[in-house]
Amino acid sequence: MQYGFAIDQRTCIGCHACTVACKTEHEIPVGQFRTWVKYVDSGTFPDSARSYGVMRCNHCTDAPCITICPTNSLFKREDGIVDFDGDLCIGCKSCQQACPYDAIYIDDNTNTAAKCNFCAHRVDSGLEPACVVVCPTHSIWVGDLDDPDSGISQLLAGEPTLVRAPEQKTKPNVVYLGASISVLDPLAAPVDASYYSSTPDPHRAALAAELPPTDAKTTLNTAHPRPWGWRVSTYLWTKAVGAGALMVAALAHLLGVDLGVGGSLVAPALGVVMTAATGVLLVWDLKRPDRFYYILTKPNPRSWLFWGSLALAAFAGVAGLYLVTGLVGELSSYDVDPIVTVLAWLALPTGALAAGYTAFLFGQAEGRDLWQSRLLLPVLQVQAVMVGAGALVLAGSYDDAAGAFLVRFLVGAAALHVVLLLVEFLRPQHSAQATAAAGLVVRGRYAALFWWVAIGGAVFAVALAAPSWDGTPWATVVLAGIAVQGVLLTYESVFVRAGQDIPLS
Amino acid sequence: MNLPGERTHEALRNFPPVENWDHHVEYDAKAHPRKVQRRFMLVPTTCFNCESACGLLAYIDKDDLSIRKLDGNPAHPGSRGRNCAKGPATINQLDDPERILYPLRRKGKRGGGEWERVSWDAALDDIAARIRQAIVEDRHEEVMYHVGRPGEDGFSERFLAAWGVDGHNSHTNVCSSGARFGMALWGGYDRPSPDHANAKVILLLSSHLETGHYFNPHAQRIMEGKQSGAKLIVVDPRMSNTASHADLWLAPWPGSEAAILLSIAAFLLRTRRIDTAYLERWFNWRAYLANLHPDAVPDFATFLDRLEADYAGYTFEFAAEEAQIPLARIEELADLVSHCEGRLAAHVWRSAAAGNLGGWQVARALWFVLALTGSIGTEGGTSPNGWNKFIPHGPSMPPPHEHWNELTWPREYPMSCNEMSILLPYFLAEGRGKLAVYFSRVFNPVWTYPDGFSWLSALTSDAVELHVALTPTWSETAEFADYVLPMGHAAERHDTHSYETHSGRWLGFRQPVLRVALERLGRPVTDTRDSNPGEVWEENEFWFDLSWRIDPDGSLGIRQYFESPYEPGVKITVDDYYRWVFENQVPGLPGKAASEGLTPLAYMRRYGAVSVAEGLYRQDERILSDTELAGTAPDANGVLRRPVTLDDAPPLVGEAGSVGVRHEDGSVTAGWLSPSRKLEVYSETMRDWGWPEYATPGYIESHVSRRQVDPARGELVLIPTFRLPTLIHTRSGNAKYLNEISNSHPMWLNSVDAHRAGVGTGDLVRLTTEIGHLVARVWVTEGIRPGVCALSHHMGRWRLHEDEGSRWVTGRVDITHPDGPDSWLLRYRSGVQPFVSDDPDSSRIWWDDPGVHQNLAFGVHPDPWSGMHCWLQKVRLEKAHRGDRYGDVYVDRRRSVEVYREWLALARPWTGPDGQRRPEFMMRPVKPTRRAFRAP
Repeated sequence: MQYGFAIDQRTCIGCHACTVACKTEHEIPVGQFRTWVKYVDSGTFPDSARSYGVMRCNHCTDAPCITICPTNSLFKREDGIVDFDGDLCIGCKSCQQACPYDAIYIDDNTNTAAKCNFCAHRVDSGLEPACVVVCPTHSIWVGDLDDPDSGISQLLAGEPTLVRAPEQKTKPNVVYLGASISVLDPLAAPVDASYYSSTPDPHRAALAAELPPTDAKTTLNTAHPRPWGWRVSTYLWTKAVGAGALMVAALAHLLGVDLGVGGSLVAPALGVVMTAATGVLLVWDLKRPDRFYYILTKPNPRSWLFWGSLALAAFAGVAGLYLVTGLVGELSSYDVDPIVTVLAWLALPTGALAAGYTAFLFGQAEGRDLWQSRLLLPVLQVQAVMVGAGALVLAGSYDDAAGAFLVRFLVGAAALHVVLLLVEFLRPQHSAQATAAAGLVVRGRYAALFWWVAIGGAVFAVALAAPSWDGTPWATVVLAGIAVQGVLLTYESVFVRAGQDIPLS
Repeated sequence: MNLPGERTHEALRNFPPVENWDHHVEYDAKAHPRKVQRRFMLVPTTCFNCESACGLLAYIDKDDLSIRKLDGNPAHPGSRGRNCAKGPATINQLDDPERILYPLRRKGKRGGGEWERVSWDAALDDIAARIRQAIVEDRHEEVMYHVGRPGEDGFSERFLAAWGVDGHNSHTNVCSSGARFGMALWGGYDRPSPDHANAKVILLLSSHLETGHYFNPHAQRIMEGKQSGAKLIVVDPRMSNTASHADLWLAPWPGSEAAILLSIAAFLLRTRRIDTAYLERWFNWRAYLANLHPDAVPDFATFLDRLEADYAGYTFEFAAEEAQIPLARIEELADLVSHCEGRLAAHVWRSAAAGNLGGWQVARALWFVLALTGSIGTEGGTSPNGWNKFIPHGPSMPPPHEHWNELTWPREYPMSCNEMSILLPYFLAEGRGKLAVYFSRVFNPVWTYPDGFSWLSALTSDAVELHVALTPTWSETAEFADYVLPMGHAAERHDTHSYETHSGRWLGFRQPVLRVALERLGRPVTDTRDSNPGEVWEENEFWFDLSWRIDPDGSLGIRQYFESPYEPGVKITVDDYYRWVFENQVPGLPGKAASEGLTPLAYMRRYGAVSVAEGLYRQDERILSDTELAGTAPDANGVLRRPVTLDDAPPLVGEAGSVGVRHEDGSVTAGWLSPSRKLEVYSETMRDWGWPEYATPGYIESHVSRRQVDPARGELVLIPTFRLPTLIHTRSGNAKYLNEISNSHPMWLNSVDAHRAGVGTGDLVRLTTEIGHLVARVWVTEGIRPGVCALSHHMGRWRLHEDEGSRWVTGRVDITHPDGPDSWLLRYRSGVQPFVSDDPDSSRIWWDDPGVHQNLAFGVHPDPWSGMHCWLQKVRLEKAHRGDRYGDVYVDRRRSVEVYREWLALARPWTGPDGQRRPEFMMRPVKPTRRAFRAP
């Protein structure tokens, strides 16, 4: 069984009765909506037109929000409704990244995720959802889409229908009759400076100038601010530094290069401290930080947020042991070498996973096409090496052999970072959304930061450090080590923002 | 029992069954997926947010007696369980943290912003004493009840009649006077009742898919009609949401609509695609020929030939030129209409009829087309409202009074459709009268009316001795009252009402739901203040109490009408009143109630509405009963009349004693309510009341016709009245869920005009009117025709003092006189801002645009025939001047007085036949005796 909605835009008059009935049914805070009506104006007078679209959760058959939610707060019922339990939500906002429809918001009263849940509390009492009841023109239908004899199936049978973002492969269960594609495709109608009876939120208004121009304009819609901000882009850097530093040090150990205390103490210390900082930022970013531990006590084994937490924990554990071993080695005469070798072999895969799991997490973020690249995994790992090596060069003095080792990894990783990013952003993207997002980075609002810092800074770092291929001079290498930190921080800030900038509704 | 709004989607139903309404259990929405049961009592009432009066069900939590939410009433024949956004938003209005909970009396000067809380008793005693004094001293015309949103039929007219005052005033002439007048000339009834669901062609000179009387019930049926194959035609210079659904959208130059309709009429006559039999039977064609072609052979065929010739000048070319639209569009409209097969459902309510000088001709021409196509009163056609509306009377109806209030029914406008309310401030200033007690009842003229500064002046002058604002919320007008008395909202008051939503006829009931719930729980209250929030009352009990205090010993003859019909000498209660009405005045209701073992009152409290009839068509052909015919005799024109004296009063619509009409074939039917009881293609009323040149449908050039507005010089027509589906005048101001959707005031401007003016979206512009200017913000859109700009009716809300206006929607303003005492400048000090209250949502207000109070800058434009304020403004558009700020409105009141005089001069003060002040058949609230109709 699969409960679904049919929205008949042939009869929908854009009156917002559904919007308000839902708000009163669920006591939703001002500024947030589970369903709303979008207006799109097009055409030149006298052939002007206005289309309406009722926007809400699609109760997808393959709901990406359920996959990504680390605590099973979102779940699918037997009757097909995608429901949620606010008591399990930790407010990580991953669901908002997974959903390609802007369906989810973090309720300002409870700080937990919420969305249309088909009025499941009413369905369980044998009642229609509130929006279905109120609609003056009976433009919202509900029923079992899997049953060909149901009223909704008969309504839809033989009629041309549309769904939102079918290319995301979520198998949405809100089917539109008579809808205009300009209303359903979020890139088809950028906003103007004014709405029909309201004002576009500043974020969407600023974006509009950077989206490809079209004949249609969105003339009424709701605000959906970016869920993830500086805490997320910063933790991507702290994580990379910690993982990268220890991976570089472990590799040095396994290849017989002696990095001194840089390798035995600083690297694992960075591993522990930076991973801890990552944890602090992650928990700080939660809307319900008091529940952070749910990710370990009530896990969803399909979510890469869960596996990522384990990866971070595993790496932090290895780094901690590595550090303790290093301290023992420095402060006693015990030969810790064989232990370090074992730990180094563990540090490589755990470090690589700690740095790279984000690619799998972002791979579950079906709402952010820019983040769903197959290059993301190698990019993250290369960047980790870049900033890890860059951090280690700041950590102490090295002999030429050690210095050369670090420089080569720094330069090599920075160069690869440049190459991979150029490939990533200049090649044709796999979707219109990704194309638009890449456009923001390469030509739009982030272009200066991208080209001057993310790319240019790395090139600068290579130029600074490459002459020291054999280990000297060191001053420029230190500068390069600092520069690459700025490069990654800036890049992640751009990457995280650009991915979320493209409207989904 | 099958309720009209019950529906299922397989196993899901839209409403719990009626038998569960006293003990409905639902799971708590916020606790879900935890199954926490909430026990509710569902009590029906009626929405108070517009005149559509859609049914609502209030969900009362039995544990704490709070109202959790409201949704629709499946028992309501009009709304059928559905609502527009404003229906469910009622909960915001009930829960508003800024509600006025207690009676307030002004301290210090009017408009000074200082108030003290007083008891209801103190207010009642003060008000009653003044009314009593006015009555005793024969100053009956100094007591006035000025209603904005009635939301009820019959109750207020009854108490005014009981007091013997001609004290009713309304808002009709900023609303529908034009459309009413044009229609009333035909058959007496003044509002249309289109049968959209069964139509073949739906013609809207309105925006009924988003607003108007009666938005939700009509929108439902318009879409049903469309889904069944009806073609939707919309005539509107702006692309409304309604126009966006049209199969054919015409955007004519404002004021040309009658020319378009007359060209359709001419086409139908030319091609003889007319219902000849209907016209022969129902048109007063003999009067037409006798007056216009006295030498012609008096037969119907000759009439048709003459009619065709008389209208031949209204060609498509003429209409296209007036309207500045392609001829092909008009031809397409004509073609669609001509194929309607008698199923043309048409509506004009405000729009062109409310905007233009002579706009009433739009309605006159529309009904001409309806008649020609044989669509009047048919299934799928358009009936008059009176066939689909039903007003039950209260117990012991007072006799008609003998007064005539010239402040509301002046000599200059003998045929105005309802009172000349827009001229009240000027009349008071001229010394035509004064007001001892003035009630502004759910009414905000300072804001809603043109030239609000004149209202402000009048309300702060000595001409108004006591101003009592009866209102659920603060308003710009209440700021200038002497008493602000909080009256209940939709779920907090009693009313009955009936509106023409479709081909049936129903009676709706509004009730204080908590009072009903308490009674059902065995804790009855006898005063609605005991179940409403704070000391919020309901008007009915207020009027009963006030009337007793006006006449405590009954010696004025008033108290008797407020005594219980069940217990003589005892003050009537709301239960008594409605028990009596429902037992005695509603056909079919006692039977329906008995079949369910309920009293009629209990039935109405249970269902909130009752269907009185369904499928009423062609009531003009209704055969009269013997009782109706008793004592009647036909006059020279075949009108059956009962003898009447000067002591008789005419009915609400129609002539006293007129009962029916005998046709030329001898048949006798009810007919219409015009003097001839036929459809008056020739109006002898217009002939007899000073306007023979407009006795037949015609075209009057608008005051903003294309000849008078030159876009090349920056002149445009401003439409200041278009509506949004989410807002409603003053009352939606504190509905947070409505304001978060609709909260800005863009000025619609076509790209062609924007380009010429050198402005773009977001730019400030100054619009100069006849009496001042306003500063608005441009929105360049293709959704409006060139030459026309528009600002929605709803925005521009303000408060002079911090705590006297809903902070969800108003900004703080200062009103100054920068260029001397006649100059007025309204300027916003701050916009809408978040505020701290018991509701956390008030801190989440993100919108800041209070809008532009454009109405202030409009001079008053009384149409000389209908009395309609002609809303459209000729404005000059230019970029904002240095120093202009968004929302500024500037007025030179000397100019506004001049404009008033210019328009007054267009009228023809007239006394009609037999010395009458007004044609008897035209609708008039609180109709006096026939003697009072005659000027002394």
